[in-house]
Amino acid sequence: MKIKRFTLLQRLFHLLLMVSFLIQAATGVGRMYIETSFGQALVAPFGGFYGALAVHRWVGLFLLGLFVVHLLYLFLVVFKNGKKSITGPDSIIPRLGDLKPALQHVGWMLGLRKYPPLDRWAYWEKFDYWAVFWGMVIIGGTGLILYNPLTTSQYMPGWAMNVAFWVHRIEAILAMGHVFIIHFAIAHLRRLHFPMDKVIFTGRAGLKASKAEKAVWLARLEQEGRLRSVTTGEASVPARVIAYVVGFSAILIGLYILVGGLLNVRYITW
Amino acid sequence: MNKKYLWFLLTSFLLLMPGPAAGQEERASRYYHYRSTEMSTGIYEEYEVRPRGIQPIFESRAQPGIGISRVEDEDARAWNRMFLQDAHKDLRFYEQRRCVDCHAENANNRHTIRHGITCRQCHGGEPVASISSYTSRLNPIRQHTHVCSKCHIGASASFAMYRIHEPNPAMASTLDVFPFLFYAFWIMIAIAALTFATFLPHTFIWVVRELFQRRKKEDEV
Repeated sequence: MKIKRFTLLQRLFHLLLMVSFLIQAATGVGRMYIETSFGQALVAPFGGFYGALAVHRWVGLFLLGLFVVHLLYLFLVVFKNGKKSITGPDSIIPRLGDLKPALQHVGWMLGLRKYPPLDRWAYWEKFDYWAVFWGMVIIGGTGLILYNPLTTSQYMPGWAMNVAFWVHRIEAILAMGHVFIIHFAIAHLRRLHFPMDKVIFTGRAGLKASKAEKAVWLARLEQEGRLRSVTTGEASVPARVIAYVVGFSAILIGLYILVGGLLNVRYITW
Repeated sequence: MNKKYLWFLLTSFLLLMPGPAAGQEERASRYYHYRSTEMSTGIYEEYEVRPRGIQPIFESRAQPGIGISRVEDEDARAWNRMFLQDAHKDLRFYEQRRCVDCHAENANNRHTIRHGITCRQCHGGEPVASISSYTSRLNPIRQHTHVCSKCHIGASASFAMYRIHEPNPAMASTLDVFPFLFYAFWIMIAIAALTFATFLPHTFIWVVRELFQRRKKEDEV
């Protein structure tokens, strides 16, 4: 038995974000490492140093568009579900009540406490969401500043682009480090989900695993009598195969950029 | 000739001469300008530039290339060169040197490293003018039209304020010359460091902890 965790739209958002993030990472890191063969290999599929910039700009605009669509989606959700979508237990917005389960989870990891009762979105999931959210604001804003220097310089002094460049670069390194190390480890490397947690592609999480991992959420569903309506069967075989292919491709690309970037970091001029 | 006629000629000649005007004060010479400042204010003996004879000769030479030949005395007067039409005037062995022999740190910019633009494409051929020289192509009054616009068509004076020779944002010295960059850099580094310092150990311990967790087989997570 499975339980519906993500809607089709949420899965589509994640897929588009994932693909465009990997393209941005490859083109951006490739240009940054252009002095090394690693960087030249990264930008080669995009038409070299200058082609990669063109791709980076278009995909950047696409990502910003995606972010705007997501904001509209958020407004629609709040409009439809009202106050419950902000303050309710299904909300992704962090609240003080997350602090206790978070500390207990750390205690559990150290073998000091029992596993905490977690609701639908645990503290690390909330952090991941808002990290991407504000990361999009920072990296998209500086990206827009750098998009067309001539137009930018009509609204701010040229040295603002020196600042925007460094903010863009550090935020990109932070985002890539977080996704390629922390997010990959949580979604793939943990024993309970090894080798891959397919939930974001199929939308279905294991019922028993969810009962163990997100006890409060499942108890709430049961209490409200909604559990039967959200349970579903296993995803079809082609869907699972596609999920694995897409997921592992992302892992390969991400790890290639991460390892190559770390190995070559001494050979580039910053 | 009539004396009256001579007087008339002399008077009309004097009348045709341009009269003295305040706007025509001699400004070309900084020395005379300074002298008039001294005389009008009563403050003497304050020179922007010390006389050449007692210029200090600096001992430390951290920059590469300097010290190979005997340019120390010229180099010590280097800040006189800020306004020269030939910035390297009278430098000994100048012809045998490359720009980076003395200006090594200035080659580290994205125009040079990423796009292969040479020094002379912006700074011009010989004689290379000091960028503060009134006739220099890199003087901020015409930099955007004469240099930036060669590639960035439509570049404005604001556009030219982009720092090509960007200081290293991590260095404490950047706080003096480009504080915005310094603060932006370190704030971003602090955010990144805080995130990694929290979540790298968190994730590592978590992955290790789950090695001791039984996986529910029947559920196929």
